[in-house]
Amino acid sequence: MTCEEAKTLLSEYWSQTLDETRELAFDAHLAGCETCRAETERLGVLWKSLALLPVEEPSANLRGRFYETLGAFRQGLESAPRRSLREKIVSFWPRQPAWQMAVSFALLVLGVGVGYEIRPEKQEQPEVAQLRGEVSNMRQLVALSLMQQQSAGERLRGVGWAYQVEPSDTEVLSALLKAVNQDSSVNVRLAAADALHAFGASPGMRKAILEAIPKQSAPLVQIALIDLLVDLKKKEATPDLRALAADQAVHAGVRQRATWAVEKLQ
Amino acid sequence: MNRFSIVLGLASTLGTLLVGQDTPDRVTVPFRDAAKARTLVVVVVNGGMTIRGYDGKDAIIEANSRGGPSRGRLRLPSAPPGMHRIDNQNSGLDISEKDNVVTVNGGIMHSVDLLIQVPIQTSLKLKTLNGGHLTVENISGEIEAENTNGAVTITNVSGSVLANSMNGRVTVSLDRVTPDKSMSFSTMNGIIDVTLPADVKARLKMKTDNGEIYLDDGFDVKLDASSRAPVVSDRRSSGGRYRVRLDRTTYGDINGGGPEMQFTTYNGSILIHKK
Repeated sequence: MTCEEAKTLLSEYWSQTLDETRELAFDAHLAGCETCRAETERLGVLWKSLALLPVEEPSANLRGRFYETLGAFRQGLESAPRRSLREKIVSFWPRQPAWQMAVSFALLVLGVGVGYEIRPEKQEQPEVAQLRGEVSNMRQLVALSLMQQQSAGERLRGVGWAYQVEPSDTEVLSALLKAVNQDSSVNVRLAAADALHAFGASPGMRKAILEAIPKQSAPLVQIALIDLLVDLKKKEATPDLRALAADQAVHAGVRQRATWAVEKLQ
Repeated sequence: MNRFSIVLGLASTLGTLLVGQDTPDRVTVPFRDAAKARTLVVVVVNGGMTIRGYDGKDAIIEANSRGGPSRGRLRLPSAPPGMHRIDNQNSGLDISEKDNVVTVNGGIMHSVDLLIQVPIQTSLKLKTLNGGHLTVENISGEIEAENTNGAVTITNVSGSVLANSMNGRVTVSLDRVTPDKSMSFSTMNGIIDVTLPADVKARLKMKTDNGEIYLDDGFDVKLDASSRAPVVSDRRSSGGRYRVRLDRTTYGDINGGGPEMQFTTYNGSILIHKK
């Protein structure tokens, strides 16, 4: 056993925990080595005197103080500004699905709101107007094309569409007047005469109606046209209506209606 | 017996048309294409007509002349000395077929009653002026019927109907209606009596001056609150005028509303029955 090896065994030697073989080897080394023997004796005194020191008990406050310190440490850790940007964003995201939805929705509303606020106003308005124009054109197209159909039922539908176009639509107006004057079906002519109400403000309306009345073979349509003049308050039509009321070639019911119209317009 | 002058209004390019002349007063005209939609057009100045759907492919036209010139005809000049007039019995009926459309034109001078049988699935365009009933039975298609001085009776049909009479009653009974088709029934001096299937969906537009409107209790009709109320139209913003008028028309939705169905009469009532 070398001196170095012996020194590592010192503490075990003093506490008497060495096994038999190592104690014998240690004793043999001490017997043959002066320095190690002197060292062991000197330090042995200190070891024994240390054992005489009273065991220090922790005070009752220590425990509480420890946890206070620990808590303060944790708090310090949490408020420490050392987290990455990603962690910060993630920490905003709630764990509850309901809250997740609420946050999503709030963001959506915010986005729409912001989008609406910053929309380019000057570009939007003509687009809407254009769209409205296109819808109006589409209705005009439907009305006009249906009014040219072979089937009277389809033409009747076309007249129905005429209610949906702008009252300033002259193309639809002339198609309606054409239907009143020329359509082979009395029912289509009748519906067209009714549809003319919406175009009452158009110029030349009174003249067109007055021209249409004598062309009619169906008294029912003639009466509808007279009613139209009354509804549109075309007072200027009174002399023509008076002449119609006096015309013996005209159906009695129509003459009666014309007389009524003259009174009504006065 | 009458003789028929059958004028085939066909262009030579259309090829030959088979016209079977069964008996002098009965003519069979086939529709060229059985797969395509068929249309029958009939115009009669003097006389009535009955159109009936049957289980076949051809149009079968039968005519019953009332004999002699019609009452409306001008008095004939007396025969020149030494001569006598022979009765011209030509009914002047003109029948043609083109593109699956069979057209029957009644003569102007003679009064004739027609009975025409066509396949059930046929659309009709019918017009008669003087003295006669216009009757349609058992047809499925688009029916357009006008009668000036007589009644229009359309029963046991499906599809859509436009019916008009000037001085007669308009009676229509529909088993089924084509959805999205507008219809119209009108008469000056008669009653409009229309029977509709229970499930019909329509926007009713009813107008009568001197009559009443009757609706079947079984129908779910929602009348517009604005019906018979003043109609205000304000066009001042676009340079027009401000106007209030009293609309004589009553509007209502049947079974929730649908295509427009117009009823117009001046001196009659409107009756709408449920089938």
